[in-house]
Amino acid sequence: MNPPLTYEQLAALIKKMAGITVAPAALADPSATFDEFGVDSLGLLGIAGELQNSYGTPIAQGVETSKTPRQFLDAVNTSVKAGA
Amino acid sequence: MTASRTDGRAVITGIGVVAPNGVGADEFWKATAEGISVLAPVSRDGCTHLPLRVAGEVHGFDAESVIEERFLVQTDRFTHYAMAAADLAVRDAGLETGAGSPFAVGVVTAAGSGGGEFGQRELQHLWAQGPHFVGPYQSIAWFYAASTGQISIRGGLKGPCAVVAADEAGGLDALAHAARTIRRGAAAVVVGATEAPLAPYSIVCQLGYPELSLGADPGRAYLPFSTEACGFVPAEGGGMFVVEDAESARRRAARIRAVVAGHAATFTGASRWAESRDGLAHAIRGALAAADCAPEEVDVVFADALGVPEADRAEVLALADALGGHSRRVPVTAPKAGTGRAYCGAPLLDTAAAVLALEQGLVPPTPNVGAAGHDIDLVTGLARPAELRTALVLSRGLMGSNAALVLRHGSAGHDPRSDTP
Repeated sequence: MNPPLTYEQLAALIKKMAGITVAPAALADPSATFDEFGVDSLGLLGIAGELQNSYGTPIAQGVETSKTPRQFLDAVNTSVKAGA
Repeated sequence: MTASRTDGRAVITGIGVVAPNGVGADEFWKATAEGISVLAPVSRDGCTHLPLRVAGEVHGFDAESVIEERFLVQTDRFTHYAMAAADLAVRDAGLETGAGSPFAVGVVTAAGSGGGEFGQRELQHLWAQGPHFVGPYQSIAWFYAASTGQISIRGGLKGPCAVVAADEAGGLDALAHAARTIRRGAAAVVVGATEAPLAPYSIVCQLGYPELSLGADPGRAYLPFSTEACGFVPAEGGGMFVVEDAESARRRAARIRAVVAGHAATFTGASRWAESRDGLAHAIRGALAAADCAPEEVDVVFADALGVPEADRAEVLALADALGGHSRRVPVTAPKAGTGRAYCGAPLLDTAAAVLALEQGLVPPTPNVGAAGHDIDLVTGLARPAELRTALVLSRGLMGSNAALVLRHGSAGHDPRSDTP
């Protein structure tokens, strides 16, 4: 079973897949939105694909429409848990 | 034929160049005026074993230092060149794009092949690992429209945007489209074309062109108008411009570098070079009429110069058909003999060279070519000083498009009443 995705890992994935540098602490701010960092749905789709490939389990469609990092983490972790 | 008249309203106020012989207009002009050839053996990764031996590669361009990483990851090299050239043009024009309405400035680019290098990488992921390994930016990066879209997003330019996919000559059609956009009320348009066709997949696509030169000697692989002409050498890069409403430019005391005076385009069919004579002549006549320009007023011709004997002959005959006896007296040049042909980017590099030639009073030479094997006054060897008021830029595409553009000296744009005699 895969451990839950963290804000640190999400920050690294945003850098790798979307070319945007964001501090993990900024992502963890409950009021943070992807919009303010310039991360769009294509960027999130790429991150979801990368997670799916590294976990080896499908991630539910629609996670790329998450508006906030917290929503995204919850959606990914719920999906991974359900699929495990 | 489509022809467009601009009434001297569309003027060039900014030039941005990313070319094999220089990044930035100054470096480009220095190499162009000196007639330096930068054609060299193909050196790109994965390309050196291919039958194409010589090309015009862009060196000394560091995308990371001029483009933000978030735009780099979503775009192909051809868009990196476009974004960088657009920055240079906007800076040259001194245009404060954030100052007025974001809807006042548009973007128009032409593209001949899109993002082949990015597309190849993602398709390799698809076939080697599966569909889940294809990044989502593949959906936008390969596309012909990518450069217009990314320049618009990155610069916050929300004015009229367009993409011209009309073969190599589409580069000139993009300038004409920008001029029409100005007539419809836009204050400025960031316009041009850049290409990046020097990647393995892209080169393999070009190997099917009978006009491609497979010559191995950089000094002899592309010799337009010479008796040894053996095809053309491809290149990457191109140019972006700020084309602006003359009145807006005057209001903000911008330096008017040239007037986009007239343009026309025709189509005569893929690789039908003998037929391109009539098509090109018709385009020249149309562009001159749109510019209210008599044939004798043309002071310099930047030729298409394909380097295929039949095509070179057709171009010389087209000039004779359209300019009459003046075609044997007017200086003709083909600086692209020293850089290669950057597809849609090629006529934009010629346009940049033409604007700089008008400003400097200097016709740059045709590198590598010793003498013309045709009845034209081809400028070879050293640049030739001349008083230049009007330049004619010609372009043809391998798929059959022909276009002509008339540029007037920038001083013609300072008072609209002096545009026409």
